[in-house]
Amino acid sequence: MAEVRINAEPRSEFGKGAARRVRRSHKVPAVLYGHGTPPRHVSLPGHELMLALKTANVLLLLEGLEGGDELALPKAVQRDAVSGLLEHVDLLLVRRGEKVTIEIPVQVTGALAADAFLDQQLVTLSVEAEATHIPQQVEVSIEGLEVGRSVHAKDVPLPSGSVLQTDPEAIVLHIAPAVTAAAIEEELAAAEAELGVTTPEGGAAEGGQATEGGTAEGGQAAEGGEPAAANEPASTEA
Amino acid sequence: MLVPRRVKHRKQHHPGRSGAATGGTRIAFGEFGIQALEPAYVTNRQIESARIAMTRHIRRGGKVWINIYPDRPITKKPAETRMGSGKGSPEWWIANVKPGRVMFELAGVPEPIAREAMRRAMHKLPMKCRFVRREVGEA
Repeated sequence: MAEVRINAEPRSEFGKGAARRVRRSHKVPAVLYGHGTPPRHVSLPGHELMLALKTANVLLLLEGLEGGDELALPKAVQRDAVSGLLEHVDLLLVRRGEKVTIEIPVQVTGALAADAFLDQQLVTLSVEAEATHIPQQVEVSIEGLEVGRSVHAKDVPLPSGSVLQTDPEAIVLHIAPAVTAAAIEEELAAAEAELGVTTPEGGAAEGGQATEGGTAEGGQAAEGGEPAAANEPASTEA
Repeated sequence: MLVPRRVKHRKQHHPGRSGAATGGTRIAFGEFGIQALEPAYVTNRQIESARIAMTRHIRRGGKVWINIYPDRPITKKPAETRMGSGKGSPEWWIANVKPGRVMFELAGVPEPIAREAMRRAMHKLPMKCRFVRREVGEA
């Protein structure tokens, strides 16, 4: 994977006021640590960093630091929950040739068997790889896998130079039988009956859907005056 | 419908509405999700209604996760009652949802179907929401 060059500026003032000033100038406060060195506080350009972090386990080449350029991997990224803007980044110092343990995404390929459901238990795998040769992803093929079969972590083909760190017996994905339409219909009918939703007799699913919303809302509003027995908490107060 | 089996206290204070979600803001299990953009009390009926709307649309092949739980009782005094005489009776079970919370997740269906299923589910919820998907490079 190619390195992404990012210009880092050392930070001398700390705290939420200073961090907010940094963010207002379209930069992201970050901390750089690793190899037993004292942590170094830097600010990074927000837009370039945002683009770089779109790649999993991107290797950043930090320029403009005292003592020369440094290679780093993002260790923890804090984002605003609603806007998604970067708030802070923890960077881990790495050296060329050094082995690092990172999480790489699992990409599923191939067509799923008929009447099957793909139950993916792990979306990333922990592997040890050379810092400058981190694999982008691992591919798991589900082509021809029958219902009831599972793929374990040890079965996933890893790129050369990578060593699996996840438990080899961990299930990555499982091919489960798809739930039948009748079972779903039965379950939904029971749930709708509990909600007090009435569907038109013999109506199609779409027709039922249209009626469902109105009736559900109406049922709730009508019930507002008196406590619903089912919703009443059990009298377990001490 | 989701209802706590037993509770320590039948009546609680109203849950706080301020602030943003501090956890559960990322997709943890599925591929797609519904993220709250406003704070709201989501009742167990609304959660169930949204789940039914989603399941009806995807029909088969998908899996739905519900990441919120209605564990807070909300009380109400009967109509035309004078003030005082104690707190009203428990009326609803609600989940106190803050902005940023991923409430529902979905996997096992193509994105267009997931979008439509979640759009239908969002109509059952009392706040502004958005469709989110798992990003491959999300660190």
